[in-house]
Amino acid sequence: MSRNKAVDQAGASAPHGEALRLEGVRRVYGAEGNQVTALDGVSVSLPAGSFTAVMGPSGSGKSTLLQCAAGLDRPTGGRVFVDGAELAGDNEAALTRFRRQRIGFVFQQFNLLPTLTVMQNVTLPLKLAGRKVDRRHARAILERVGLGERLDHLPAELSGGQQQRVAIARALVTRPRVVFGDEPTGALDTRSARDVLGLLQEAVRVYGQTVVMVTHDPVAASYADSVLFLADGRIVGHQPQPTAEAVAERMTHLADEVERQRAAAGANMAGANR
Amino acid sequence: MIGLAFRSLRKRAGAFVASFLSMFLGATILMAFASMLDTANGDNVTGTAKSTLTTMASVVGGWGLLLVVFAVTSTLTLSVRQRAAEMALLKSIGATPAQLGRMIVGEAAGLAVVAALLAIAPAVLAGRALLGLLHDTHQVPGEVSYSFGPIAVAMGLGITFVSATLAALLTARRATRVRVTESLMAASTGTAKPSRKRLVFAGLFLLLALDEAIVTCTLMRDKGSDAMATSGQADILAAIGLALLSPLIMRRVTGLLAGPLRMLGATGDLAVTNMRRRTGAMAAAVTPIILFTATAVGTLFLQATENAATRAAGVAKTADQKGIETLNLVVIGMVVLFTAIMLVNTLVAATAHRRREFGQTRLAGATPRQVLGTVALESVILTVTGVACGTVAAVFTIVPFGIARKDSPTPDGSVWTYLAVVALAAVLTGATAYGATRRALRTPAVNAVMP
Repeated sequence: MSRNKAVDQAGASAPHGEALRLEGVRRVYGAEGNQVTALDGVSVSLPAGSFTAVMGPSGSGKSTLLQCAAGLDRPTGGRVFVDGAELAGDNEAALTRFRRQRIGFVFQQFNLLPTLTVMQNVTLPLKLAGRKVDRRHARAILERVGLGERLDHLPAELSGGQQQRVAIARALVTRPRVVFGDEPTGALDTRSARDVLGLLQEAVRVYGQTVVMVTHDPVAASYADSVLFLADGRIVGHQPQPTAEAVAERMTHLADEVERQRAAAGANMAGANR
Repeated sequence: MIGLAFRSLRKRAGAFVASFLSMFLGATILMAFASMLDTANGDNVTGTAKSTLTTMASVVGGWGLLLVVFAVTSTLTLSVRQRAAEMALLKSIGATPAQLGRMIVGEAAGLAVVAALLAIAPAVLAGRALLGLLHDTHQVPGEVSYSFGPIAVAMGLGITFVSATLAALLTARRATRVRVTESLMAASTGTAKPSRKRLVFAGLFLLLALDEAIVTCTLMRDKGSDAMATSGQADILAAIGLALLSPLIMRRVTGLLAGPLRMLGATGDLAVTNMRRRTGAMAAAVTPIILFTATAVGTLFLQATENAATRAAGVAKTADQKGIETLNLVVIGMVVLFTAIMLVNTLVAATAHRRREFGQTRLAGATPRQVLGTVALESVILTVTGVACGTVAAVFTIVPFGIARKDSPTPDGSVWTYLAVVALAAVLTGATAYGATRRALRTPAVNAVMP
């Protein structure tokens, strides 16, 4: 308990430290001769206590970016730092241990264990990490997400929105340095989506949590403090204080923008060759 | 639909390995024994030799038929269930249940023909070996020569084909009646209570077993080896009864072990919740272990008691007694083989089904080792429960036979025999579960949870 408090205080007193840093991260899939570059040298630095949305068209590499940053996938090149610690380790067990100390994850498909109750699902990461299970803390978080009355329900007995709120509680319970969301509202109706986004925003604004969320929905992105635009595996734009309209506008013209950039690069290259 | 059936057989042979194996082995055994009938029809076969050969063929043949239907049904059911998504897809593009049924039966029938044809060569070898065994034990005179003829081929192909088709019809009826979404829901949170019908049948089988046990102790007392006739099947009947009760038994066991297991930390905790919520799947996995232990222990100790009694009486075994011994051992071999296939197949299918669950557990922070630990704990509990139930079922055979044959309820035979059976059950369960889980863990967690 006392240790956790200390961590909380440290987090609160230094909200502008760096929570996540990517340095030239590349991810290439496929065998030699038939390779697809999903990430092409992405470098980002996100401060602690920030809420960032990553947007891009399908196939832009945004899920890969998230998975590499969260230690679910190994980059082909480049380095990832979470809270100052480099994400390294050659086997899955090492990556798992890194993840469960520093990272929380919220998925589009919730990924709650169907055989565990709400309370058991939320405390599972603590148990797996061999940490002391503080049920009061878990209960407090579940109350915060509005599920204090449903601790003994199974996921199948909850609506999609409720399941996603359990998943958020599960991601927050370990007091991670960064929470990643992969289309966390992708499977939800508008109202549940708004609840979920509100909770993520609250985690950032009230509790100083760092959140990175991949989405294709401009409305979801507008809840974030800033939006990163990704296309063809590269970051092609950045927008602070986004509104849904501005994000949608930018997304509409993203393809043209990328085309222009590429044409310009091509022209330069052609010029250089000549 | 038949065209589709052959296409899926050709393109995805892997999914049919277990069904094919049980048909192939079944056909091999059936034909090997049926060839004894061909041999009995030879020119210079007379009297006891003829009857020994005929008995051997018909008794084992009957057993084989039962086992093939049972094993093929169980393997086919699993392979169809694993293809729930494909079935749903076919339904959504307009396949009627009857068409799906034709596809499933078509696949099974095609598989049966191939399996039976391929089984001819090994069956000839096995039949030759069997006759050699009968020669060596002087149950059949040496001048009787081996013949593999029309009866063997007809019975092998016919029975394999008919039993596979029958099994497929049963499977298809079950698979196409349930709506796919329902069956998927049931699979993910399978706490289904055993139906009343199941309980009634369980009671019936246990009563039959008890009846046989009592008859052996009373009517068959001092009738010598004839007591085998009534005591021999008691263990199988009791095992089927207990297997039908296995959902209740598994729940009970889980309740008892929950406390101690939870002390083992997260892995124990996960194992307990899994077993509690997935009693259906656990019961399916424990069934072959019960059958395996019951028949193996029951028959081996029955034979040991019989041998000891003959020795004590100071008489040599007659050809008939030797024949029964051979039969007993052959039946054991067959049952062991088929229950082993069933056990492996059930565990592999059940584990493949849990790929998503494993992925979710890993994403929640479990290392691969923790997932393996959970599965290992579950396997230990499965083995212990199955072996315990199987031993209880075996008692229905060996204790009454001991009382009838030599006025003592304690069976003869070595404790090592028992331990060997237990070890085999444990190794089969453990190795299969471990291997299947390792394979499931090879998929990255993020991909494993994709629906």
